[in-house]
Amino acid sequence: MEYLLHLAILFSIFGIFALSLDLIAGYTGLFSLAQAAFYGIGAYTTALLMADAGVNFFVALVLGITLAAVVAFVIGFVFSGLRGDYYILGTVGFNFIIFTVFLNWQSLTGGPLGVAGIARPELFGFSFSSSGSFFLLSLATLAVAYGVSWFIVRSSFGRVLRAIREDEEAIAAFGYHTLYFKLAIFVISAGMAACGGALLASYLSFIDPNTFGITSSIFLLSIIVLGGLGSLRGPVLGALVLILLPEALRFVGFPDDIAAELRQVLYGLLLVFLMLYRPQGFLGEFKL
Amino acid sequence: MGIIPQLIANSIIAGSTYALVAVSFNLVYGVSRAFNLAHGILGTVAAYMVFFLAEQNGVPLAAAIPLGIAAAALAGWLLELYVFRPLRERKVIDKVLIIASLGVSVAVEGIVAILFTNQYQSIANLIPHLGILKVGGAAVTSVQALIIVCALLTLVGFWLMLSYTRFGRAARAIADDEEVAKIVGINTPRIIAFIAVIGAAVMGLTGILAGFDTGLEPNMGFLLLLDGAIAAVVGGIGNIYGAFIAAYLLGFAENFGVWFVSGEWKYAIAFLALILCLLFRPQGILGRK
Amino acid sequence: MDALQVKNLVKEFGGVRAVDGLSLSFEKGMITGVVGPNGSGKTTLTNLLTGMHPITSGTVVVGGENEHGEIRSYDVFHLGITRTFQNVRVFEQMSVMDNILVALTSRSVFASLFEKHSAFHANRAKEILERVGLWNKRHENAKNLSYGQRKLLEIGRALATKAGIVLFDEPYAGLFPEMVKLVSSIMKELRAEGKTIILIEHDMAIIRELCDHVIVMDAGKLLAEGKPEKVLADGKVIEAYLGA
Repeated sequence: MEYLLHLAILFSIFGIFALSLDLIAGYTGLFSLAQAAFYGIGAYTTALLMADAGVNFFVALVLGITLAAVVAFVIGFVFSGLRGDYYILGTVGFNFIIFTVFLNWQSLTGGPLGVAGIARPELFGFSFSSSGSFFLLSLATLAVAYGVSWFIVRSSFGRVLRAIREDEEAIAAFGYHTLYFKLAIFVISAGMAACGGALLASYLSFIDPNTFGITSSIFLLSIIVLGGLGSLRGPVLGALVLILLPEALRFVGFPDDIAAELRQVLYGLLLVFLMLYRPQGFLGEFKL
Repeated sequence: MGIIPQLIANSIIAGSTYALVAVSFNLVYGVSRAFNLAHGILGTVAAYMVFFLAEQNGVPLAAAIPLGIAAAALAGWLLELYVFRPLRERKVIDKVLIIASLGVSVAVEGIVAILFTNQYQSIANLIPHLGILKVGGAAVTSVQALIIVCALLTLVGFWLMLSYTRFGRAARAIADDEEVAKIVGINTPRIIAFIAVIGAAVMGLTGILAGFDTGLEPNMGFLLLLDGAIAAVVGGIGNIYGAFIAAYLLGFAENFGVWFVSGEWKYAIAFLALILCLLFRPQGILGRK
Repeated sequence: MDALQVKNLVKEFGGVRAVDGLSLSFEKGMITGVVGPNGSGKTTLTNLLTGMHPITSGTVVVGGENEHGEIRSYDVFHLGITRTFQNVRVFEQMSVMDNILVALTSRSVFASLFEKHSAFHANRAKEILERVGLWNKRHENAKNLSYGQRKLLEIGRALATKAGIVLFDEPYAGLFPEMVKLVSSIMKELRAEGKTIILIEHDMAIIRELCDHVIVMDAGKLLAEGKPEKVLADGKVIEAYLGA
């Protein structure tokens, strides 16, 4: 039962990450490989504020989201003029830079040793220390993220995002300052990712820079492509696959010590196959 | 004063490594328009092939190295045939190609890690005696000197090939305008595949040299690619001469840069250079606007 | 009354002047045709007027008042200008309805997020789609439409902006006769509504039928202008087309 809850919690957190990336990649066409950097910012901000300064989780969460949003605003602006390939390369670079910061600003982040002793959230004396209660928290957060995403995509704003994805130059001529729209969704996406990152930090109680490297961003991209871009159910399905796949592998008998590498191989191959044979994934509305 | 010659030497060595990557990257990009992020993994494949053959199985270097390069060339060819060509023929948008290449890179890196573990491996002991040259106050190992020589030879070799061979002229025609090249009867798929193999072989060689110089890790190729791709873009995407120049600029920027900050910020410096370039001169140093 | 004027408009692409010191006026409530051999600068002119390329020098005057040395793409709508594209650019993976709605809804980030789905937009969209004959395809993704239907969708999208100045870039190419009649009737209706229409076309029969005024361009410059019959019989014009 504990184990199921563990999977369910990870599912909700990665569901939040997946939704946040789909909003910018699947709906708006901004294929960012920097999502791990943003959820890393959320994770580290929360971890450091809680472990080093005893700040309440929910306060740290808000601060983490704010920091991620501010960084996203700047980066989003800087990269806004880059076309396709270069945008992706730029976000890879940004992810690398943030990873380097996590790794090397040792006095702040503890460097490769990471941050340990991150407590579970506490609210009005109630501590989310049991798996059951944490699951409810993370599920509720996923529900909120889903609700926010739903609100965004069915609004006129959401329609503009899709038009930007289809043909940014053309939609601009119809009176839309596309930069503002792209910035807005980029910031929202980063904030959402940071929120998930905060939950991740608190749940794992320990984080280190390796969780937030470029490989994590690539994984996230492959699961939303698999689940299906440009839909809301797609990312959720993708997150489900992400969480269940290692279990399936273990069930089939693959040894644990190469589990991480095997996952990497599978995700890589998945990406290639999807690009070649089914760019819309399972539940996607948008075909790359 | 004392450290400057060494910094210069290190910059040139780094620049030469990046030049090999960037020039081969741009050579392939020129004809295929593929921003191939799997280019780096070809170096990893070659290096580990040498490790497998020479270190683990006692095959003499004289055989292991060509086989390593051949492995990279084969991998590059297969990639072109089964991933990039189908995608290109379907006229997919750029993003699909780059994402597919990322998938290949990540998958092959995982396979290498499974076969050889994530541990750092060294093949330096295979070289009978690692000579050290002293040049003007700086120390350069024989492998490093070889890297510099190879970089220069590669550029010259490519220049000769592109300017004076029929094959090279055909490649230039394709790089200029693929449709027109097809119309005048150039067998574009075959030439693109050839170029892919050549680019892969050079990348393989680079991986092997880097393996001797600094050892092997599964992500070595990807890291080389990052610097190489940055140099390729900063130099002017598709332009091998620009890539060559930018590679050395990058080598100098990184080595003199980490003089001020610590060594781990190397990639941060590289990407900052890229971002600045993309913002202010997106076509690169020698690129056309 | 001049709805749109260009004064000494120049567009240089790396040393080549695609538009070379062009000075023109487009009168309100008229259909003005713009013709010329390939490479004469017609599409460049359209792109300059709709913010797709930056102007090298010269100005554009809209509505006789504001003189602009620079037009950004998002200015275009607010200046009351809209267009269709020669190489049809509809929003492929969006429905026909969404293609129209996106031209109707709020341009502000904040407002578009919270705008209530109003009957007003829905009704306007219905009107437009019925006018271009695509109402029964409203839920189809644009990429599933035929070529002619996509051209009509583009026209519908342009109509949705209620712009006073409409630029049609080769709208008739590849259309079946019934659609040709539909498009022509829409243009005549727009003219009757007092809109300014700029029509880039190669089909001389259509130019003769629809245009009140014709402008002939060659090598980025104005070659001739006037009534269709006069201009199209002009020796210089014929030579430009044959010699091109």
